[in-house]
Amino acid sequence: MKKISILKPVLVSNQERARENRKFFDRLGSLVINVIAAPGAGKTSVIESLGRRLKSEYKILVIEGDIRGSLDSARIKKLKIDAIQINTVTACHLDAFMIGKVLPRIRKKYDLILIENVGNLVCPAEFEIGEDFKLAILSTAEGDDKPLKYPLLFHLARVAVINKRDLLPHVDFDPRRAKKEIRKRNPRAVIFEVSAKTGAGFDPFVEFMKKELRKKR
Amino acid sequence: MHEFSVTKSILDLCVQEARKNGLKRVKKIIVKLGKFTGFSAEAISFYFTSLEAGTVCAGARLVFVEIPIRIKCPKCGFEGQIEEPIFVCPECKGERLDLVSGREFYIESIEGN
Repeated sequence: MKKISILKPVLVSNQERARENRKFFDRLGSLVINVIAAPGAGKTSVIESLGRRLKSEYKILVIEGDIRGSLDSARIKKLKIDAIQINTVTACHLDAFMIGKVLPRIRKKYDLILIENVGNLVCPAEFEIGEDFKLAILSTAEGDDKPLKYPLLFHLARVAVINKRDLLPHVDFDPRRAKKEIRKRNPRAVIFEVSAKTGAGFDPFVEFMKKELRKKR
Repeated sequence: MHEFSVTKSILDLCVQEARKNGLKRVKKIIVKLGKFTGFSAEAISFYFTSLEAGTVCAGARLVFVEIPIRIKCPKCGFEGQIEEPIFVCPECKGERLDLVSGREFYIESIEGN
């Protein structure tokens, strides 16, 4: 019996493809953000709100990942922001290969590329796609214990956005508890509390984004 | 997590390595799986039984070695295992912790002839 030492990561091909994607994005000089959240948390709405506030100053592309349909990319295009729709059909997360396939369609030097992942708090955390950082969205309607239930995502996400703060009077959600639990998984997490619906809380979030975009320039 | 695609990746990697090293049959596969990953050994084993047929890995024993979450605190020097992924130093309550292990997911080795 022969024993062969392999020491290869299982996700090696995804990691290699993610590195290739990263090189492509670096050549464009784009800040790339992987937006991850449960279905219905408000990924598209937060991206729309952010896009509205940044599009006059920055060239933005949104890559939409959904199982099926182009509803989300249609919403983005309505704001006159470029959007590419990826339909994963069966996959519950975007992977580096899916992003790799759409790179030839990226023809402009975008300042900001927002990649809206498939609605899912589990799998997207494990699959690098070439992003600069992950941004997790948690809505007030989902419960403040989400960081305990999905520690990996909150550990890896540089930014956590608590959305739907306009619903606070109607839901059992303690923002202080949610923030405390997020910081236990990532003490360095940058946290914003917003309402994509009313626009509340977006000023500091936009300031943060502008700072990150200036760093890229 | 649907472990189908990662199980296929494991299988493809092992078949490739078996071919590269002249193994006609793989009897054992050792996978190191960190406790702080989104993957489940049970789910991978489940998919493996449906994917292995007809390959050089058919009948191979899939062994998982679980790697615990270990942290190191640069402030007080504490290094140790934690059960929950809470990144606060159990000694000095410092919050700048280094993750020493727990995120691994790799094929350590294959055995066969």
